[in-house]
Amino acid sequence: MTVTLDGRCVIVTGAGDGVGRGVALACAEAGAQVIVATRNDNGGAVVGEIDARGGRAAWARCDVTDEATVVAAVDLALERAGALHAIVHNATSNRSSEPHRLEDVDVALWDEHAAVSLRGAYHCARAGFAALRASQGTLILMTSPAGIEGTVGLPLYGTVKGALRGFTKSLAREWAPYGMQVNIVSPLALSPAMTRAIEQDPGVGERLARRVPMGRVGDPEHDVGPAVAYLASADAHYVTGQTLAVDGGHFMNF
Amino acid sequence: MLEGRALFVTHVATIFGQRLAVALGELGADVATTAHAFTDRAAADAAFTATPRIDAVVHVCVDDAGLVPQPLVDVTADAWDARAEALLRDMLFTFQAAHARFIATGRGRIVLVAPTSGFTGAGGFVPASTAVEGVRAMGKSAARQWGAQGITVNAVLVPPALVAPELVAATTFEAPPAVGRHPDVRDDVAATVAHFAGATGSGITGATVIVDGGSVMAP
Repeated sequence: MTVTLDGRCVIVTGAGDGVGRGVALACAEAGAQVIVATRNDNGGAVVGEIDARGGRAAWARCDVTDEATVVAAVDLALERAGALHAIVHNATSNRSSEPHRLEDVDVALWDEHAAVSLRGAYHCARAGFAALRASQGTLILMTSPAGIEGTVGLPLYGTVKGALRGFTKSLAREWAPYGMQVNIVSPLALSPAMTRAIEQDPGVGERLARRVPMGRVGDPEHDVGPAVAYLASADAHYVTGQTLAVDGGHFMNF
Repeated sequence: MLEGRALFVTHVATIFGQRLAVALGELGADVATTAHAFTDRAAADAAFTATPRIDAVVHVCVDDAGLVPQPLVDVTADAWDARAEALLRDMLFTFQAAHARFIATGRGRIVLVAPTSGFTGAGGFVPASTAVEGVRAMGKSAARQWGAQGITVNAVLVPPALVAPELVAATTFEAPPAVGRHPDVRDDVAATVAHFAGATGSGITGATVIVDGGSVMAP
């Protein structure tokens, strides 16, 4: 059996770059109509890539901190596909990879993280509920080892990523009676920030790879994307409340 | 167990926070308290500055007003903020004020106390669960950043029954406690907090201990 998203429509937030772009490309490859939801213009380029490969996609300018734009993305999905089957909330703050000390941060940086990751999840759940209920669909969130085992460099990022696991489990219980699923993925993949860091210092890449049993940092489209596509598929209809680590075996402590 | 230790206990306006503060006092601690969530850093600093000595901060990560069962789709933006993000900001301000105090002496303890419902999930309590798991995650990162400065951060999870009756109704999937009773606030919960907040135990940090009589067991 091959995972198929034929006939399904998936919204991916933060899909202009990095893991979100990889997820969007993989979902389109699996047959989904993809709503590429981005705050910046780069969403248009991802739609272009999907089009060029013969897939179906549309761009929704969407700032997840603004609930109205999330509602508009859901409306666009319903208008184009007639149904919405999955929302992948992948967007994070533009400042999410900015290292900080917890004792020094001001509340403005906290709010950047919380607005996109936490309020964004709340907006996706609220805006998507009716459409996802109609399709017995699924909400997929993204966490990180930083949120599970703590991080010495990015405590606020770790906080929102850990918080999303609490969000996921409680919402999974809340939505299960409707036949809907809520899951969370912990990816390890080359983000644009990570790629830049490795370009500047190849040692960074080597150290990272040494911590991964499979010996390399994943690719957003080919390593992480298919796992997310599975969760967005009808085949995952009995999987809910789970944290799925897609990280080459990096995190095994569940 | 806590003779000679000065503890600062937060959120004692909650029923559970108050019981815990009393129990820690019964174990010998000199207990100072704050009733409600801090809404800014200055408020946290003021409360800490007004307390002459603090060896450990015991942060109760719940707010009774936030423990109202409601489907997430019906939660207003203001309620989301009050039940989820306000508690995380409160946590940040509490941590920062605690760090400012502890850095002067090169030692300090932070103990987070929260219901297991964030860990297990609880329908109708998405905002509170988001806050509780966020608090636990922030604790782990703080433990990593501050460990070399002599500051430890650990978490103690307690059964929903100790925190709010509404949470019990949302966690009926939980197994009954293996020991046949809920933990005692003083002899089980406060005593565990005491190990993290007391003079020994400086080599434990970033840990989560579930004190619920063996109902929820960590994977």
